[in-house]
Amino acid sequence: MSASSNAPLTGLRPLDGLRIVLTARGVAAAYAGRLLGTMGAEVILIEPVSGSPLRRQPPFLKDGVSALFAYLAAGMRSRVLDPGSPALTALLSESDILIDDTPLAARAASGLDEETIARRHPGLIHVSVLPFGAYGPKAGWKAEDIQVQHASGEGNLLPNGLAVELFPDRAPLKIHGHFGEMQGGIAAALGALAALWARPEAGGQFVDVASQDAALAVGAFAIQRLGDGSIEHRVERSFRYGGVIPCADGHVELLTLEQRQWHGLVKLLGEPAWALDPALEDSLERSRQGPMINGHIRAWASSRRVEDIVREGQALSVPLAKYYTPAEVVRDPHEKVRGLFQPVETGAGVFDMLVSPFQFDGAPLHLRSGPPALGEYDRFKAEARA
Amino acid sequence: MKPLHGIRIADFTVHNAGPFCTHLLSQLGAEVIKIESAMRPDAFRKPHPVYGRMGPATFDQVASTKLSVRINLKKPEGVVLAKKLVAISDIAAESFRPGVIGRLGLGFDDLKAVKPDIIMLCVSSSGQNGPDRHFAGYAPLFGAWGGLGEMTGYADGPPVEMRHVMDHTVGMNSAVAVLAALQRRRATGAGGLVDVSAREVASSLLGEALLLAAAGQEPHRIGNDHLAMAPHGVYPAQGEDRWVAIAVATDAEWQALAGIIGEYRVPAQAGISGDGALQRPEAPAFAGALAGDARFARAADRHANRAALDPIVSAWTATLPADDIAAMLQAAGVAAHASWTTPEIAADPHLRARGAICEVQEPDGKHRAAVGVPMRLSKGPEIGIHRGTPGLGEDEDYVYGELLGMTRGERQALEESEVIY
Repeated sequence: MSASSNAPLTGLRPLDGLRIVLTARGVAAAYAGRLLGTMGAEVILIEPVSGSPLRRQPPFLKDGVSALFAYLAAGMRSRVLDPGSPALTALLSESDILIDDTPLAARAASGLDEETIARRHPGLIHVSVLPFGAYGPKAGWKAEDIQVQHASGEGNLLPNGLAVELFPDRAPLKIHGHFGEMQGGIAAALGALAALWARPEAGGQFVDVASQDAALAVGAFAIQRLGDGSIEHRVERSFRYGGVIPCADGHVELLTLEQRQWHGLVKLLGEPAWALDPALEDSLERSRQGPMINGHIRAWASSRRVEDIVREGQALSVPLAKYYTPAEVVRDPHEKVRGLFQPVETGAGVFDMLVSPFQFDGAPLHLRSGPPALGEYDRFKAEARA
Repeated sequence: MKPLHGIRIADFTVHNAGPFCTHLLSQLGAEVIKIESAMRPDAFRKPHPVYGRMGPATFDQVASTKLSVRINLKKPEGVVLAKKLVAISDIAAESFRPGVIGRLGLGFDDLKAVKPDIIMLCVSSSGQNGPDRHFAGYAPLFGAWGGLGEMTGYADGPPVEMRHVMDHTVGMNSAVAVLAALQRRRATGAGGLVDVSAREVASSLLGEALLLAAAGQEPHRIGNDHLAMAPHGVYPAQGEDRWVAIAVATDAEWQALAGIIGEYRVPAQAGISGDGALQRPEAPAFAGALAGDARFARAADRHANRAALDPIVSAWTATLPADDIAAMLQAAGVAAHASWTTPEIAADPHLRARGAICEVQEPDGKHRAAVGVPMRLSKGPEIGIHRGTPGLGEDEDYVYGELLGMTRGERQALEESEVIY
């Protein structure tokens, strides 16, 4: 049980009172709903009779319960509705925000196109989330996360450091999971809240979000460097020394950007003769001699345990971090204190789930529940009537 | 109309994560006043030899569209001046190590005293509380602590370092949280403290893997592989270091891809020798056979036999330009995109049509590509970057003169005592 599980579940959250309708097949739109729902909005996930495709996406806990769906849909309500139905129109008329990822070509048939929504629901914030957006020559293109990452720059620029040193000829590498699509979700949540802020003056409006644009935005420095006259490449993008350091029992990340951090590192290494060379006092010279320095650091680290290196390094203010496995993150004492995880019923058992990467007023947020059973909202309503 | 017009932000953030947050909000219309000093100028005002920049940057993406004033926060009068700015702001943002802003006399309680409904954003590596709160960090460390580095990488290789995308993801999350706090202020009148932890942002991007771990499983990195889809990966295209990302989600998409590979393989095989890669033993004798090959008929079969399937796909992709493959597959309903380099992205008509890539003008009149705010608004077409990097203290006439109503004499006295410095 996390430390936060005893905290009250009924505290005022920032978006309490807001209602969001989510017609999501993909990760980006669902993640936008997840972020806003965790901050208090009521999020109603509209599903077909067969359930959202996300329910069938790996990885799985057990009994076919999708861990991806559980994480994304936690706290939401589920309603089984045909997107074109009068019931959905009625629901939208009582809602603040619609988040939709229906492919462009299928929208008009369901009444989910920009014009129809704007006509029927002039006060609604209509957020469209697609891999390449709802406008532009590629608006109809399809993408999974791997295309989003490779269409937005970072895909081609990874791996760097030790991985590209070991495997220089391999294909470039995507970041784990749904990194690119989740950027689309974060941008969609941002767009929804920006448009909501303007609603008293502007009324409802259409917010067009592309996961490609969002993933490009977080990779903006590559474009900035292009303007400075340099084209980054994954092979040359490595830090000259430091980076991923293999130890006896795992990996640490080491990055010394400031002079005092270099001095701390020299102490950590036991002040060997090579490191005391006065020439290495100059950061440019250290850059030039990076491979030599890294050779020494790696040799030193190879017989040492990660835990010892991190403990001694932190004491010397050397920026060092263990490459935590998922299990280590879940068990992390720091995150226990912060209440990053909350036990929820997933459909495959009660497990700790990450709640939110941000907090308000010094207390963690709380998930209303785990992921909803398919159509649980309809049953809830039926029971309320009976 | 820009949605956040009328919102003012006192911006004390440094490095990348915090400044990217306020940069996004500035593009959405907030008036962001960047607080700097000649004693501690922004990193982009200094040379960065490790990145090969020997002088100040002529354009700083995350400072663009902001206003610049100088305040020396080491002086008590500087703190007083900073509080005057906060008193006329909706939001104050900072990204020092936890505790530093409080020691400067600008902690949340100090700011509430001058602006009771202030929203204060604190961005840090590990959050404002907890045993690791004092840890210094950079993007690769956030990625390492958060688990994202460990889960990224070739299955048989080491974990991978996260770079600036990690910082900026923290910034975009921060912008979401700040707007939620603003929404709450509208509803309740109350400001509040927003605490964003960079390592937790990294963790939030692998929530499904953390859930597996909590349930006792041991998720591990899988490179470009996918747990269900095949083909799924980055395949070699024609030319040096050219690649194309292909993902097949359904049997119908597979039939479309197999059909296309067939069309292109027949002539190569008819020529007998042709492309050596096509003669790998696992490749079927004829292209037409690929669509009917029982090893690849259903999604589960393709995934189980992907070691045999990937070389067939690679042999085909290697004969064609990456962008041609993507266009051909997209036309057939299959997700595909070239692995684009930065110049390709900067020149893309689609991204330019959307404003995701925009042109900015440098002080010397030259134009360069920059990255816009990642959204289009039907009632806010003017969002985005509207000015470049401000000069240090460039906006003091407006901020100190017009907004705070300070006289020339008052400002001059503060300049002489190195408060405005």
